[in-house]
Amino acid sequence: MMLSSLASITWKQWRQHRLRTALTLLGIALGVAVYFAVRTANVTLLSSLTITIEKMAGKATLQIVGDEGGFPEAIWETVKDTPGVHIAQPVIEVLANTAFEDEGSLMIVGVDMLGDRELREYQFDEAGEEIADPLVALAQPDSIMISRKFAEKHQLKDGDKLPLFTAQGKKEFVVRGIFKPAGLGEIFDGQIAVMDVFNAQFVFNRGRNIDRIDLMNESGVSVDELQQRLRTRLPAGLEIGPPSSRGKGIENSVAAMKIGMTITSFIALLVGVFIIFNSFSIAVNQRWKEIGILRALGVERPNVQCMFLVEAALMGMLGSAVGIGLGFFLAIGAERVMSQIAAQLFSYVTTQQPPVFRWDYAVTSFVIGVISSVIGAWLPARAAARLNPVLALHNIETRQSENVLGKPRIIAGILLVLTGWALIAFGPASVGLSLQFSYSVLIIFGLVLLLPALAALTARALRPLMDRLFGSEGVIAVDSMIQSPRRTSATVGALMIGLSFVFSMGAYVRSYQKTVSDWMDRIVNADIIINTSENARSRTNHFSEDLGKTLAAIPGVRRVENIRFLFLPYADDSVALIALDMDGWFARVKDVVEGADEDEVKDKIIRGEGVLVARNFVARYHLGVGDRLRFQTPTGPFDFPILGVIEDYTSEKGAVFFERELYKRYWNDPAVDIIDVMVTPGAEVATVKQAVTRAVKGQHRAFIYTNAEYKKFIMDLINGFFVLNYMQMTVAIIIAALGIVNTLIISVAERKRELGVLRAIGGLRSQVRKMILLEAAAIAIVGVLSGTLAGVFNTYFLVRTAAHMIGGFTIPFRFPLTIVLVALPVALGIALLAAWWPARKAVNLKVVEAIGYE
Amino acid sequence: MIELQNVSRSFGDAKLVQALNQVNLRLAQGERVAVMGPSGSGKSTLLNLICGLDEPSTGAIKIDNVDIASLDDDSRTRLRRQKIGMIFQTFNLLPTLTALENVSLPLRLNGVAKKDAEQRATAMLQKVGLAGRAAHRPDQMSGGERQRIAIARALIFAPPVLLADEPTGNLDSKTGEEILALLDELHREFNTTILMVTHNEEAALHCDRVIRLRDGQIISSSAVTARTAEGQ
Ligand SMILES: Nc1ncnc2c1ncn2[C@@H]1O[C@H](COP(=O)(O)OP(=O)(O)OP(=O)(O)O)[C@@H](O)[C@H]1O
Ligand SMILES: [Mg+2]
Repeated sequence: MMLSSLASITWKQWRQHRLRTALTLLGIALGVAVYFAVRTANVTLLSSLTITIEKMAGKATLQIVGDEGGFPEAIWETVKDTPGVHIAQPVIEVLANTAFEDEGSLMIVGVDMLGDRELREYQFDEAGEEIADPLVALAQPDSIMISRKFAEKHQLKDGDKLPLFTAQGKKEFVVRGIFKPAGLGEIFDGQIAVMDVFNAQFVFNRGRNIDRIDLMNESGVSVDELQQRLRTRLPAGLEIGPPSSRGKGIENSVAAMKIGMTITSFIALLVGVFIIFNSFSIAVNQRWKEIGILRALGVERPNVQCMFLVEAALMGMLGSAVGIGLGFFLAIGAERVMSQIAAQLFSYVTTQQPPVFRWDYAVTSFVIGVISSVIGAWLPARAAARLNPVLALHNIETRQSENVLGKPRIIAGILLVLTGWALIAFGPASVGLSLQFSYSVLIIFGLVLLLPALAALTARALRPLMDRLFGSEGVIAVDSMIQSPRRTSATVGALMIGLSFVFSMGAYVRSYQKTVSDWMDRIVNADIIINTSENARSRTNHFSEDLGKTLAAIPGVRRVENIRFLFLPYADDSVALIALDMDGWFARVKDVVEGADEDEVKDKIIRGEGVLVARNFVARYHLGVGDRLRFQTPTGPFDFPILGVIEDYTSEKGAVFFERELYKRYWNDPAVDIIDVMVTPGAEVATVKQAVTRAVKGQHRAFIYTNAEYKKFIMDLINGFFVLNYMQMTVAIIIAALGIVNTLIISVAERKRELGVLRAIGGLRSQVRKMILLEAAAIAIVGVLSGTLAGVFNTYFLVRTAAHMIGGFTIPFRFPLTIVLVALPVALGIALLAAWWPARKAVNLKVVEAIGYE
Repeated sequence: MIELQNVSRSFGDAKLVQALNQVNLRLAQGERVAVMGPSGSGKSTLLNLICGLDEPSTGAIKIDNVDIASLDDDSRTRLRRQKIGMIFQTFNLLPTLTALENVSLPLRLNGVAKKDAEQRATAMLQKVGLAGRAAHRPDQMSGGERQRIAIARALIFAPPVLLADEPTGNLDSKTGEEILALLDELHREFNTTILMVTHNEEAALHCDRVIRLRDGQIISSSAVTARTAEGQ
């Protein structure tokens, strides 16, 4: 009963303060949207990755997968002969490139065309009936079958020629079958082709290796049973499992991306909480008198509190609902960026999927939105309930005695900050990232408690300066901040959180960039670098050693080194393996090996007697010099000592370096991913590069960089990785800007009379505008100051904890001075922009009404 | 000095409220006029029009022979700042500023340097008898003191015209009497033209002339004779 009549008051308030209500809703909506979008984008990405795997798997119930280099086809014989195996089919997957202009990658699946149709539906177009007979296709080694989408794109018909870059250079294939866009035909947007597996082995230089065996169990034997049976018969190091289980590995490799985004999405929510807090503090202030009347009329305290909390929950529901809708659209954009990163950094093939709407995520986001709203409104609601009705009714001025500058609050704030900092600095790393993240939240909360004092202090300090610079308008502007520390600090709080994360992200990114670029300067020292992919690397597309020989013959080329770069399964995760000509490399780099006798270590490494590992790798797996590194290889176990540790940022999963001859011996894999070219002294690098380009052109799909170009290319890849974070930061800043608009509008509304008086005694419109803008500027200044303070703590957290936890990287802490210097004018700009509308409102104030007595 | 010619002001469109209806009024330099009349008769509207906060629906308002309707908002604001002081029933001081800052505010808005402005404001505070309260904020002062600050603020430019809307309405009679005495004193010194809305016949005695409004029209205008008899 009582609540329903209170609800009608709420409704009237919302209608009366439409703009404030809208801004608050938007604040919640954006926070929830970011949170929801991150999750949705993540599952969408995973689903587009797993759908690719599943479509590729066809009816297979089990898959046997080796590492990136594949495994010997002899294993296929063993599998075929295993009782319980109904069909077993060898598969090779190659991401090749067509020689068509402006064409991206084409996924080539090599299968045994005779047996494979039992496993995978190809659904050939009727037109190509005679070719649908695989025997005919098989009889000719240049046969290729393509998806209809690809055929249409290039106007290819049966019998047409399709030029492809293979490991042996450009080769022409003949289209002998076009399959419908179903099953296999849907993968990778139709950029898919099928050819004979043994032919693929040959043209892509895979030796006698295959990538995968897809198999079906006999009806009498369960999948689990067969899996067990195969495990005992097959060498270790092969992964045996249903296709669906392969998503796990993918999930692991994009984990770093996910963690970063989750952290930032929480920040967006946190800023949202501030908007709510801000809005409700203001509402309580504005409704002081109304609350007093309600209390005087006999509404009990809990009911007053309840009224505000119900109001907050309602806002939370509305805002969250809008946010979920908004987030769904945001997710589309976010997923695009993520799959691009997945392709560029991890070289995954995806099949574009519409965003996956997950009810459980929607519900969680909704609940989190509502809870955040209620949390944000909690203190203001409590303040409203504790209001003394007599004072409220008799003296409007009571609202100025806000009890937010008390000593206990300040002490609590300082304690929280110190505790959080101490935990980050001295706490054990083993507790996990989420707990560690809570330390930085602790610091933020501490700072929030300190904010009113900080805001009042800064405003007081600014007063003489503002007086000097801007005269009485400046004084009135800062006074208005001091007058309502609660209102001010709520805005400053939103700004602080937004900015602090921009600072710390910026500082983190810059530290990271600096570290990586220093590292590249040490390590990347070839004159010309040739890569198989426009991305960091290709999983499936490699050069042959022949190309290196061709290049070595070019005048001006002093030396050519082949590098194999791939990821191998290690522990439950993977590790980067870089196999290279160690003697050449060592000759060019100085002081890379940490500890031990460098010369001795180098000799041993060159002789293939051990390995070097990245510092983050030893940190991650608690290894050290002298420990042994073991892998399962196609020729048996690889077991070598770690001879040295080097600083390296190849992968957040760690990296292992050893002599390429050793790799070839164990993995039976002569493939090459990167070719380093050293130019003879005196020769012009650009000229040699041109010669190299000429030699490669039309024969291989290769990406040729000079040293500087390659470093820039890597830096660009790294920056691409941070794009998502930048996106989220932008949202955080928008939310913070909303906070400023909100505060200033309220500030104008609360001081309507004051502004009216100012105009009445001769204040020009331009002077009133100046005042509001100055107030915004002052808020921005306090925001930047506190944001810097919080940002420094956050940067500390990021470089100390997050970087270490995610990548095992040690990144030196740098104070983000440039960012602070850039942020100040930017924040001022944003604040002034946000103040534009409130200032307009203030300027167009009807003076007579404003000073008219109630 | 001030001249109103056939000034009307109406509010609303559907149900028209005729707040002022064909008002003609002339105020000479140094003249003190009390405006009296029942609530809603248009007294405040009249003051708002003269100081340029509001615009007449029809008619002309001339201050020193300038029709203020022909001025834009900024010029009107400047005119108000320099030529017209305003005192309100509810003082309308800025709560965060000290007495000194409140009084010096119009000067500072006009670009006078802080030091000069404060010097002049201190002198003005002295004149209203509150030199000792310069650093206090409005909420630390009594009603009468606040009104005196407001008067000091209104007169800081030594404006030729002072408009006062029920300046004693919120004060007890003794304090009100003090305020009126202060106005007398200032009038003697600066020869300010004063237009004062009041409900109080006693207060009207401090003026030279009383005009009475009813339903937006001036129904009478008569010279005050009693005050000479009182020998003030
Ligand atoms: N902004 C407005 N909108 C509509 N009507 C208005 C407005 N301002 C004044 N009025 C009307 O104009 C008439 C005159 O108002 P005004 O405030 O001048 O009266 P007043 O003589 O000052 O009364 P009081 O002694 O109560 O202050 C009133 O009927 C009032 O309702
Ligand atoms: Mg009135």
